[in-house]
Amino acid sequence: MALIRADGLGKSYGSTRAVNDLSFEVRPGSVTGFLGPNGSGKSTTMRLMLGLDRGEGRTTFDGKTFGELTHPMRHVGALLEAKPFHPTRRARNHLRMLAVANRLPDSRVDEVIDLVGLSTVSAGKPKKFSLGMGQRLGIAAALLGDPDTLILDEPSNGLDPQGITWLRNLLKHLAGEGRSVFVSSHLLQEMAVLADELVVIGRGKMLANGAVSDFISHSSLGAVEVRTPDRTVLAPAIEALGATVVQEGDRLVVSGATAEQIGDAAHAAGARLHQLTTRQATLEEAFLEATGLSEEFRGSQVGGDS
Amino acid sequence: MIDSLRYEYLRLRTIRSTYWLIGLALSFQLIMTMIIAWQMSEADNPPSGDNAFDVLATIGASTGFAPLFIAYIIGLLGVFSTGHEYRHGMIRATLTALPSRSMVFAAKIISTGIVSALAAVFCIGIALVAGLVFGLDRPSTQEVLDMTLGTVLFTVLFALSGLAYAAITRNQTAAVALLMLLPSVVEQIIKAIILAIKSSSDDPRGTGGLVQVLKYLPYDAGGQMYTRASFDDLLQIFGVVPFGALGGGVVMTVFVGSLLAISYALFLRRDA
Repeated sequence: MALIRADGLGKSYGSTRAVNDLSFEVRPGSVTGFLGPNGSGKSTTMRLMLGLDRGEGRTTFDGKTFGELTHPMRHVGALLEAKPFHPTRRARNHLRMLAVANRLPDSRVDEVIDLVGLSTVSAGKPKKFSLGMGQRLGIAAALLGDPDTLILDEPSNGLDPQGITWLRNLLKHLAGEGRSVFVSSHLLQEMAVLADELVVIGRGKMLANGAVSDFISHSSLGAVEVRTPDRTVLAPAIEALGATVVQEGDRLVVSGATAEQIGDAAHAAGARLHQLTTRQATLEEAFLEATGLSEEFRGSQVGGDS
Repeated sequence: MIDSLRYEYLRLRTIRSTYWLIGLALSFQLIMTMIIAWQMSEADNPPSGDNAFDVLATIGASTGFAPLFIAYIIGLLGVFSTGHEYRHGMIRATLTALPSRSMVFAAKIISTGIVSALAAVFCIGIALVAGLVFGLDRPSTQEVLDMTLGTVLFTVLFALSGLAYAAITRNQTAAVALLMLLPSVVEQIIKAIILAIKSSSDDPRGTGGLVQVLKYLPYDAGGQMYTRASFDDLLQIFGVVPFGALGGGVVMTVFVGSLLAISYALFLRRDA
């Protein structure tokens, strides 16, 4: 099982720093989500990892760079862009061509075609494929060598809801077998249920790296809701902890203190508690908070203050 | 290297353009050689076996009045060899299957060379058959060997220059334009300009000076490998003395070799 270790990845386009000193690990048996706003350098990072783009740093797969791997598709499966195939080469022939370069039998081609659900169209030309079908063919290519490691850039692009569910189950299953799965996606709700770990970047720089639960719990958007008939007593006691208290209706919404700390403060201040509920930020909220200042392309808010 | 060659072999086999380009070249050769051979057989004074074979094998290019048409068709195989990689975003899939760029590039050169050589040999074979069908005199073995070597070498070098243009520009359309226009238009314009300057000089018939450049126009020089009586011979009144088949072949080989060296260096350096 392959440990992916990226160390000091960097890339510039002219004076623009697209990727800046990124280092992280993707551990076997986990799905690691790769998040960042548009233009943050995710795709460039993935290409750097595979030696496709020239830049700084080094990525190893169990100690070997991609270029040092013999028959690399047997070790690392990659999907880097939608429809990476000739439009008139039949889908099965596209996979056969990749297979022959890695000394994989045609029977494996048929297996992955079945796996991704393209059996009925494998003799067809991909120019007639929808984006989702093209994506399935790309996923089939990534799985061709039954690799220990998968690097997938936006694999759910173009997939319908059934396809997204299928992909989620597939990636979870593959990770469950001990493989390393590194996947970028803009579908944060999907990533919240798929990923075990996260690498979050903005403007090419590392913003967060670790377990999804840690990333969410560290968000300041997480809060504790408190209902108490003794607001005038409790609010100052909580604020004394260094937390922020905002009144919303009959509740106090506290940021910067845990439910345990608030409970202890209420007990010490002699305030009665009728409700004490921890409200976690969603992955989307945590992501937007983490990347708020790192958006490369920002639209104006319709009907808002822009 | 074997894996890269297997990849290229399957790449060529599984794409339509390989078949329609070779089919077009062979069909054109078949139709034209039959027509020309028939006309020759009907003439009161049919040409000698060698002359007839030269004209048939090159569809008239051996006279220097026409380009070697099959090279232009088969040359597109070279352009597509690299051009498809960029036009259809295949290059990243290719390099994730075969990360050694040197091997990928070498395999493309070898496969393009072999396929274009085989196609050119078939065209020569068609010319021989056409001569036999219409009862023309048989060419000498030496002439068959010389013409085959010249035609095949020119076609292979022509196709490889197409491969290099596509690798350098990473744009299939631009590469096709370069391959078609450089030999047929740009070299002719250069030739016309130099001859105009030469003709108005103090020594219009001298062999020195600017006319020396004409010997080094790569496709024109390479054409010496299959031309027998050339339009360029008429230019000798301006002091133009082209290289022979060997010298012209060397000029074209050096030119195409340089293009391949540049494209290889760029292929290694650039992002995929």
